[in-house]
Formats: sequence, C-alpha cells, structure tokens
Amino acid sequence: MKIYISGLYSGTNPQPGIGVARSLRAAYPNATLVGVEYSNRCSGIHWPDLDELWLQRPWEELNLDAYAADIKAALDAGALWISGVDLEIMWLASIFPAGHKNLLTPPTGALRQISKPAVEAHKGLPVSIPPFITTERSDWELHAFCRQHGWKVWLKGPYYEAVRTHSWDVFTHMRALLARAWSTERLFLQTHVTGYEESVCFSAYQGELLDCVYMRKRELTEEGKTWAGDVTEVPEEIVTPLRRIVKELRWTGGAELEMVRDTGGQLWLLECNPRFPAWIHGSTIAGHNLPAVMVERATGVPAQTAGAATCEEFTRVVLEIPVRAQFPLPSLPEPFPGGIGHSMKHPSGTLALAKRLHKLHIVEGNGNGNGNGNGQPGRTNNVDAPSVPASFIDDLKAYDFAEMETPSWLFLESTAAGLFKHAAELASKLNTPALAVTNAYSIKTNPDERLIRLAKESGFLAEAISLLEVQKALKTGFRPDQVILNGPGKWWPEGLLPDAPLHAVFCDSIADLRRVVASMERKELQAKIVGVRLRAPTVGSRFGIPVDTPAALKQLVSAIETLPRASTFGVHFHMASSNIGVGQWWHLYESMLRWCRSIETLARRQIECLDIGGGWFPDDWHKDSDDQFAAAIQRARNFLPFVKQIISEPGKAMAQPSMALAMRVLEFEESAAEEIKEAVVDGSIAELPMHFFQPHRILRQDKRTGEWQPLKHGKTHLLGRLCMEHDIVAANVELPMGVRPGDVLVFCDAGAYDRSMSYVFGRG
Amino acid sequence: MSLAEGKIEFNETDFADTQAAMQHWQHFPASTISHHGGQCCQIAREWILSTDYSQLNAGHPLTGPRWLRLKYTWGPSTWPIYWCEAVERKTLDCGVLAALALEVFAARGVKSYPAQFIQQYTDDATRQWTKRWHDKNAPVYWIKEDLIYHEGCAVVVRDNEIRLWDPSAGWWVNPKQAGGYGGLLALRVFATQVNTPSELIWGTQRIRPNQWQKIESARGELALATAK
Repeated sequence: MKIYISGLYSGTNPQPGIGVARSLRAAYPNATLVGVEYSNRCSGIHWPDLDELWLQRPWEELNLDAYAADIKAALDAGALWISGVDLEIMWLASIFPAGHKNLLTPPTGALRQISKPAVEAHKGLPVSIPPFITTERSDWELHAFCRQHGWKVWLKGPYYEAVRTHSWDVFTHMRALLARAWSTERLFLQTHVTGYEESVCFSAYQGELLDCVYMRKRELTEEGKTWAGDVTEVPEEIVTPLRRIVKELRWTGGAELEMVRDTGGQLWLLECNPRFPAWIHGSTIAGHNLPAVMVERATGVPAQTAGAATCEEFTRVVLEIPVRAQFPLPSLPEPFPGGIGHSMKHPSGTLALAKRLHKLHIVEGNGNGNGNGNGQPGRTNNVDAPSVPASFIDDLKAYDFAEMETPSWLFLESTAAGLFKHAAELASKLNTPALAVTNAYSIKTNPDERLIRLAKESGFLAEAISLLEVQKALKTGFRPDQVILNGPGKWWPEGLLPDAPLHAVFCDSIADLRRVVASMERKELQAKIVGVRLRAPTVGSRFGIPVDTPAALKQLVSAIETLPRASTFGVHFHMASSNIGVGQWWHLYESMLRWCRSIETLARRQIECLDIGGGWFPDDWHKDSDDQFAAAIQRARNFLPFVKQIISEPGKAMAQPSMALAMRVLEFEESAAEEIKEAVVDGSIAELPMHFFQPHRILRQDKRTGEWQPLKHGKTHLLGRLCMEHDIVAANVELPMGVRPGDVLVFCDAGAYDRSMSYVFGRG
Repeated sequence: MSLAEGKIEFNETDFADTQAAMQHWQHFPASTISHHGGQCCQIAREWILSTDYSQLNAGHPLTGPRWLRLKYTWGPSTWPIYWCEAVERKTLDCGVLAALALEVFAARGVKSYPAQFIQQYTDDATRQWTKRWHDKNAPVYWIKEDLIYHEGCAVVVRDNEIRLWDPSAGWWVNPKQAGGYGGLLALRVFATQVNTPSELIWGTQRIRPNQWQKIESARGELALATAK
C-alpha cells in the first residue's frame, strides 16, 4: 500500500501531513508513506515516518499539466492521495471532476458548499455563522460594519490568513496587503466571537461518514493555533446532521469544522476546512484514527488498532530530528537591507498557486485581468459604490464649481438643517413633564457660526470647552444659562467668564471640583447645575474623574459632598461611539448608570442632570435609533429616579455631514493597460485630518450629464498636494473614465473634525 | 509516587482518601465577607459591583469575573475580613474571591451558589502553600496532606444546569475530570434557598446540593480498569 501525503509544513501554524503520517504509520506499519512537498524549507519532509519523499518544485514553477499527469499515474497505479493543502485540494478537484477512487479529497461541488464565510453546507448543524461582510461593499458600509461590531473584527483572506483590524487605518492597510497577496479583492470582514475554540473533525468516503471526534483547544499558540486539546465523542445533535451533509456533498476526505463556543454556550462556525487538521494525531491518541478508517474504507485493508484510546487529552512538544541526508537544509535567504527577519512566508509558493488557480478560474478571484465590462482595460472592479443622501446632491447645486477656488469648504445647508430638525424632533418626542430631554451642540466639533445658529434655533444648548467657546456661543445668540462648560481646560483664557449663571459646569478632576467650589463660594461662578465628569473605566480615556480604585471612588464621594447645595447636581460622561463601537457605547452607558447610582447612594446627593455624549457617527445616531434612545431614557429613569434633565450631545452626528470639501485633480499619468495608480489633487490631509479614521464619500460630476457620482473602490491613490509622505487623501479609489486634470472631486462627510481640526500648511 | 510507571499511568487520585477528606471538611461553611454597616464597606461593595459591570465589556452575563483575579493575587487572607479591608488588600484567598464572585454574579442577575471543592495536588505543592500561609500567620485548615479545600461558585446557566467557576484560577472547572494534579475529587454546593432544585447538573454529573459528593474521574476509571 502506497499513500501520498501532502501538507508537511511544520512551523507554528502547521499543516496536517505529519499528523496524518503518524496516524497511518500506527495503523499500517508496512505501508509506504510518501511525503509530498513543494519546498525543501518545510521541516516536515524530514519526519522519519515518511518512507519516501516526492519533493516538487514550488507552485510558481510547477508545470501543472505534467504534475497532474504524474498524480493520475500514481493514483491509477493504486496509490492513495491525502492532501493537507486547501488550494491543492481545489486544484485536484478540478483535475479529477469525476473524482478518483484513490483520491481522498472532496469534489468541487462539495468545496463550493463549504466556501468561506457563509459555509452554505452548515444548515442543519446547531451552529451560527458570525456576521460578515464582503470587502466588495463600499468603504462607507465597511466602516459601519466595524462600528456596529465595536471594531472587534477580523479581515480574512479567501483561503488563509486573518488579521484583527481594530481601526480604519489598520483595515485599509491590511486590505491592500491581503488583496495583493491573494490576487483578489474578495476578502471579507467577520466579527470576532469571544469564547472557547472547539472543532469537529471527521473522515468520510464517497458520502459515508466514517468517524468523527470533538476537540476542545486547551492550550493555544500566540497565533491561536492548537497546542493541546481534549478529544471526545461528537454530540448526537451534530452527528445526525453531519451524516446527512456528508452524504449530500458526497464528501471524501478529512474535514474540520472550526467553531467558537461563546460564554452563553452558543456555537459559532468560523470555517470548514476540506482536510484533516494539524492536530489529527491527537484524535488518534484518543482512539479515533480518522485517516486510517478512511484508508481502510477505500482499500478494504484492515487497519491495526493496537494502542488505541490511551488518553483523551493530547499536547504538543517541540522536537529536534535529524535532517535527511538527501535533502540538506537550504541556505537562509539574505535579509533585505535594513529589513527585519528573512521573509520566508509561504516557501512552497501558496500565493503563486492562488494566483494561478484564479487565472484558470478554478477558484474565484479577480486576477484574470479580463475586466468587468466597464470598458477600461485592466479594471476589475466589482466593488459597490457608496450611497449618498439626496440632500448632498441638492446642496451641491448651490455651488458654481467652474469658478470655485479649491480646495474649498462647502456648507451643505439643507443637509445641516435636516440633521438639526431630526435631533430637535427626537428630543421633543422623548420629553415628558417629569423629564426634559435636551440636545447640546459641541462647539469644538465645528465652530462654524451657521451650525451654532442652527443649534440655537433648534433648541440646543451650547457645550463649550473653553471660555473662548463660551464667548463664541454668546456672540451667536446663546444666553449664559444655555451654555454648558466642560473639559479639563475650561477656565482658559482668564477673564472671559460671564457674570450671569451658566446652565451647567462639569468638573474634570478633583482639583477642578475644588476650584469650582471655591469660585462658587466667592460668587465668581454661578451655574444652575454643577457636577462631575466621570472617566469611563476599562475604556482608555484621559478625561473625567477616575473611579478605578476604591480609594478614587471614596475621594470622589467626599468631594461631591462639598459641592454647594444651592446648585443641582449632575453627572457627565462622554466617549466617542465611533471609536469604541455602537454596542460597546451602549454597554458603557449602562455601566455609567450603575456608577451614577452608586455615587448617588454614597454621596447622598440626588443626580438631577445626566449629560451624555458623544462622538456619534451620523448614521449611527440618525438612522433607526429613536427606539434605542427612548429605551435609554427609560433606563436612566429606572436607575436614577431623581433625574430631571438628560442632555444629549450627538457631537459629530450633527456636523460631519453638513460640510464637504471640494478639490481639483492636478495631474496623473494615464496608462492604456491598467487603472491610474496615482493622481495628485490640490486638497490634502491638512483639510482632511480625519482621513485616517473614517472614509469619506467622494463625488465627481459627470461632465456630460452633470450627474454627481460616488467613486468606487479601485486602485488609484489620491495624493495630497503636501510634500508629506502620509498625505494620501484617499487610498484605492477608482477614478472614472474621462477624468481630467482640473476636474473637481467633492469629499463629503468632512464637516466635523476635518473642518475644525484642519490646519494651515504648505501655503507660504 | 511517580505519575507514570511503565505503560500504565497511575494517578494519585486513585489512591486519595476522598471519603476521609469529605469528613475532615464536613462542617466547613462557605466563606462570607463581613460588613461594618458603615460607609467604608458600602463604598467597597459599590465599587466592586460597578467595576464588575464595567469590566463585562458588553460581554455575556455568564462571563466569569476574571478581572477579580487580575486585581487580587491569590494568597493568604486573615479572617474575618470586611468589605473595606478586602478591596484594599493585594492578596485574597479563595474564600474571599469566591464570596466576591458570588456577589457580582448576583448583581448581574445570574443565580449562583457557594461551592466547595476538594482537590488533589502533591505534597510538594501543599508544603509550599503551608509555608506561605504560616509566614503570613494565616490558618492552613484548608490543607490535608496532598489534598486541599477550595472555594468557588456554582453558576446556574439554565434550569438546574450549573458551571463551576474557580475565581482563584480564573477559569471554569472542566466537568470532565481526569484526576491527577489539580483534579477535583469532591464537590459540595450550598443551595439552601427555597425552590432550589433537588439535583443540579454539572456536565454529565448529577450533584445533590448541600452535601459532599465524590466526582467521577474518567482517567481514574481507565487507569484502574487497565490495572485490573
């Protein structure tokens, strides 16, 4: 009996070949085990259980037709083939569309049914698929997905690789790297599931489930790979549907369902691998030799079972073994000058195999260069364009772009009015006789007088972080008793404090609180509400008074007791939901209510005002959130029965959509063969400092129709005008056909910190 | 004794006198933290409960409060202990940690019961612990040769199904016990409230509340069967 076994890589993220060989050796001591590998750098080729080695050239060099013929000859001669490489399995399925009785890998149809991330074949199993989104959706939607899931998301390649992307700039960077590596834009983002990693591994032959085991990871490597585990029987609620699925897919070969069990006990299916896992010999140790039962079923030769069931738990150790004389170690590649390490990932040419399979249409990808029907050679863009509110387009009609100097800020008047109107209506809806719900406009988000005036007209309070901002609010029409003073440097600059009482002052530290108490005693400061800003524990923040130790809580409680009783007491907390994610923000809100209740009890001071913010991404605040806000108000009342006013600070939810930035294309180099790689524009990160934190929807006016169209994701980098390496205002956009130097691009969603934190740079 | 002799693996568990250990700790109550009745203990308790909710980080209420173990090292405590003392200590023993964990589960709305464990370690381990406790003038009633008395929480996950949280280790105890080092030999769950089920389910084992009960050991059975 001769058995070819591929996938011998044995690094920290190993392939299963060695485990398969060890298991087969235990069951078939006299079988000839042939290791198949594509690089002599894979240490598994030296494993002593392998009787022979069939070392191929790396995938980028291999003549696939000749290699396929060689494999067919080996199978026809009676040898078996067990593959441990996903892409090799896909290629083999294309070589043997009708299968081969000695090829112990699944057929093409079955592989399609288990492709990531949807894993269609999972239906019937007691598992759920974690939410995911393809990166073929617009950046706008991808950013929304990340916010929705608290930035606890993984960017995953089509076959291998997953990277945690905890921020927008990390995501855009890793997307570019993975897309280039795997020659496809078809990546996906998937939510992280916190829990325990568990697997079902099974072995099947021509649709018959032969055996299966359940494995729980008990020790993991830093990469999250199995280092130790326990192996038990698979529960019946999984075995029954699994048997049906295997039959329907006519599965042959090993497979692994990789799952996470969350704290509530729910199982989440991450992927189904079309091969045995690298820990497969752990199953054999536990008495379930899955490779052997498959070989036994395929050949009819009984497997030896001696030594079975020695232990339900297994672990790995590190071993040094002699190198085969015929395959001495290759030299270590030269480190790149100034580089770190030796860049030896994928020595067998897995990336090249992916690229070749794309070209052969064996796997899905967009590396074939055939275009997508948009008429431009080399363009393969299937990525959705973002949707843009109609009010943006209406507002742009007010501008004459032909005469406009660029870069130039555009105030989107009806858009801004609509946002404030919605906020005012929501507050009005939530108001009750016992509880006032009031909006506050954060002046720092955008101190444009048009926005401050809109806020005033819409019944907002003004939130200032300095006395200069207080003065700005007063000049724009707010009364002192409509102003909230906040932040760590709120008393700067001296001498600008109004004589009349403010609406509220929130102390940012114990020292600040003492200063406030002293000022109020001296009658220098008057405020209807005096309170504290709490620092959110467990979420990194430099603002507010910490409560992270019992002593800090005690100190805060004592300090609150010194606040003048003539003023109402309030608590403020603020955390940007766009940074921590929507779900996390709402948890923080609940958490803060508990802290408030504790403080109220301990300080014996009724909390009558709750001021909550902020940093809301506009879509998260304005879309489908009314019910959530209503529930939040009710929760506040449940926790804090004395609260009479809730102040909501939507932050950039009001300002961000209200302004756009117009800039012109300065120059680019055209290529007949492919998409423009780089174009220079007269805008820069000096006007778009938030570029690293959020996407901007970019519009371009079609010269022929006058229609404004959003740019899609593509391959062009828009380089800002500054001589700064990081001045790239958009990475990977598609410039439409016919774009010319002098054309205007409008960057939407720039009305918040892009506008207020923009700076003068490179203007002489 | 060597843990592996030849091909047959013997466990200390197979020879541990669990029955004697259960009798030894028969009258041990589960630990509770005392309250001065004043603001000092009130602040401490509020701080623990509010911090726990913050630490949940939008996670499931059944998430084990591992943050307690990160904040407080496991080690000797002196008894009785008050809330205001406990939160200020750097080191807490299993009784205090279990009592704190019970409080936070309750505050989350998760039902849990005090749980007592008898676990097996080695003479080397218990000698070390004895010395460490003696150095702090803390009692070592919890050590009996190579066995220890330990405390945790039996957390109700649904109906009468429980999981065992070990707050000193920061993990859920594996319901499939294999004996050996750290193995759970016996369990007692204190569930004296009205409407407490007569039987709790932990993995495949049925646990009768308020009495010590030996825990089945998969590996112990295997080793004995092989030895026969």
